[in-house]
Amino acid sequence: MKRLCNFYPLLFSLCLQVPVSFSANGQDSARKTLLVDLSYHSLNNEVVYLSVHAKTKEKGKFQPVGGARLRLYLDKDSAVCLAGEIVTDTKGSAITFLPPSLKNQWNSAATHMFIALSDEDGAFNPSRTEASVVKAHLEMDTGQGRTIIAKIVELKNGEWVPVKAVEIKVAIKRSGSDLAVSDKESYTTDSTGTISAEFHRDNIPGAKNGLLTLVAKVDDNDTYGNLRVEKTEPWGTVLKLSDTFDKRSLWAARFKTPLWLLLMEYSIFLSVWSVVIYLIFQIIKIIRAGRLA
Amino acid sequence: MENSIDNNAITRDLLPMRFGRWGKIWTFILLLFCAIGAYAYFLQLKNGLVVTDMGDYVSWGIYISNFVFFVAISLVGSLITAVLRLANVHWSTPLTRIAEIIAVSSIIFASLIIIVDMGRPERFLSLLLHGRLQSPIIWDVIVISTYFVLSLLLLYFPLLPDLKILIRMNANSHSRLNKLYRLLGSFWKGNPEQVRLSEKAINIMCITIIPVAFCIHTVTSWLFATTYRPGWDSTNFGGYFISGAFLVGAGAVVVAMFVFRKAYHLEKYITDLHFDKMGKVLVMLALLYLYFNINEYLVPAFKMRKPESAHLLDLFAGEFAPLFWFAILVGMLIPVGILLFKKGRKPLPMFVVGVMVVVGAWFKRYLIVTPTLLHPFLPMQDVPERYHHYFPSWQEWAITMGSLAGTLLVITFLARIFPIIPIQETITEQHEKVV
Repeated sequence: MKRLCNFYPLLFSLCLQVPVSFSANGQDSARKTLLVDLSYHSLNNEVVYLSVHAKTKEKGKFQPVGGARLRLYLDKDSAVCLAGEIVTDTKGSAITFLPPSLKNQWNSAATHMFIALSDEDGAFNPSRTEASVVKAHLEMDTGQGRTIIAKIVELKNGEWVPVKAVEIKVAIKRSGSDLAVSDKESYTTDSTGTISAEFHRDNIPGAKNGLLTLVAKVDDNDTYGNLRVEKTEPWGTVLKLSDTFDKRSLWAARFKTPLWLLLMEYSIFLSVWSVVIYLIFQIIKIIRAGRLA
Repeated sequence: MENSIDNNAITRDLLPMRFGRWGKIWTFILLLFCAIGAYAYFLQLKNGLVVTDMGDYVSWGIYISNFVFFVAISLVGSLITAVLRLANVHWSTPLTRIAEIIAVSSIIFASLIIIVDMGRPERFLSLLLHGRLQSPIIWDVIVISTYFVLSLLLLYFPLLPDLKILIRMNANSHSRLNKLYRLLGSFWKGNPEQVRLSEKAINIMCITIIPVAFCIHTVTSWLFATTYRPGWDSTNFGGYFISGAFLVGAGAVVVAMFVFRKAYHLEKYITDLHFDKMGKVLVMLALLYLYFNINEYLVPAFKMRKPESAHLLDLFAGEFAPLFWFAILVGMLIPVGILLFKKGRKPLPMFVVGVMVVVGAWFKRYLIVTPTLLHPFLPMQDVPERYHHYFPSWQEWAITMGSLAGTLLVITFLARIFPIIPIQETITEQHEKVV
């Protein structure tokens, strides 16, 4: 009996502790892990920017995280190296440009590291993502016979040296996405860091003067990030916009009815109303026939 | 002598009669509805279309539904008179005048209700002065006017021999009615040349009115089908409207047959045989319309494209589901079920079925117009909540009821003025039967 009496306080204290410990564990497990993709982008070797895509795993699927607050740093996570503070959009994406204040630091080395930090909040645990990049330039030129030549060089010991075995895509900039210039999806650079692509899209419509924007790009390279250069060439067909304003059409003004429609309408109208008039004339004939009788 | 006695009896039976007590009550009720409708229209004219519940979403409400209903019901003139006449069907003779009167009165109010819907009636003139021939609305104006003239002529030509009888029977009367009869038909002597000319004109009219009637319903359907909206974006709409119009027109004739038979004691002329035949016609038309309905709803429902799904689900299981299933069941399925049995084609069940078909058809037109407008492909942003719903205001109901009462009033007055069953044709047919 004595033993039993000692057991009850123990059981009581256990009962109290179990929900408390569950609650504590529940708070930890309720917070999710924020997964951040950090990418480096260079446009025409001039504009440098960083893109971020934040996501999390829910029920075995990746879901974008909108409204995630992130701080981006160059090389070190200190206030002087702050590249920007961003908030992701509903698709979990955000970009920021490298600020002029970091120009000297950017020029001081050939290799850099970018850091993305997020603080702990009610929904997510704190996160840290790093991405290193070697500075590289992508150059593009056009040759005879509609050939596109692209070359990639990296900064090594203060000099720009060609890089071989890098995948480069050559495309035409279209509305929405890029269209490859030939059936070949990408080209691999040779020992001179160069590729040569033939332009096979002969009848593609260009802008007003037949201008096309050619694109050479390196996508998601582990060493160099995303590089992109653009150049315009008059290789497209000249776009002739057909202006239907003030011409005969179904949507034109009153006196611009299409002739075929006018013909149809008038022929139906006249044929039916000629019958109606004929019928009215029959009434007159009936009246006359009545008088004669 | 025996024949002449028969002729006199037929003539006496079929002459238009003065209103009795019930006729006067009926006319008074219709006039009351018309007066309320006229007052509501006065308010609409005074305050503008703001008195209606129409808005940026539902810009075509109960008025256009009513317009489509009137246009549909007017098709009956061409069905009973033209189609059956050309098919050499003789049993329909007592029904032709009823059908023509319904056609004329409903087409009058179809034209009027469109002007009501315009809000400012003086703008109808702009439609004529500045209308574009590319627009189906202009085609509709032209074809409705043409159909109205043809329907009037189709009513008038077969009336000429009866006018002679009416003038003869009222020879000593100097009433306004007799003056009207003289004005309309004093020249009719019934000589062979006049009969020949009249027969020829009626045959030409019967041939002409069928394509015109098809045009009026097809063009009305194009008002919807040429507009890119869920539920209207269909290549099937012309046939769908024509089949529906045939059904509601036949339903209206059945109702009128029963009422006139009872009111004017025409049991000898509108017999059980007529109800039986019309019942069979109704079954065929209901099945035809059902077929088009299945095409209109089942195929889009099978695909259930996202932009159309809200509209379809609202019809099948949402806000409009009770009305939708009411229109399908009461307007089509139950009538077919009743009319398949011989007992169901007796006068009283036929009358009930006719009412069901007409009421179901009215709601069907409402369902064609309103739910579609509530579900545009490209919804407007940040509109007030009330834009997402439509329920006609009392002014809209009053005007609509007034127009329906007006149609019945025109039918009533025409039945008071002219014989509801062609007298001369009935006499001729009786003679032919004897021969």
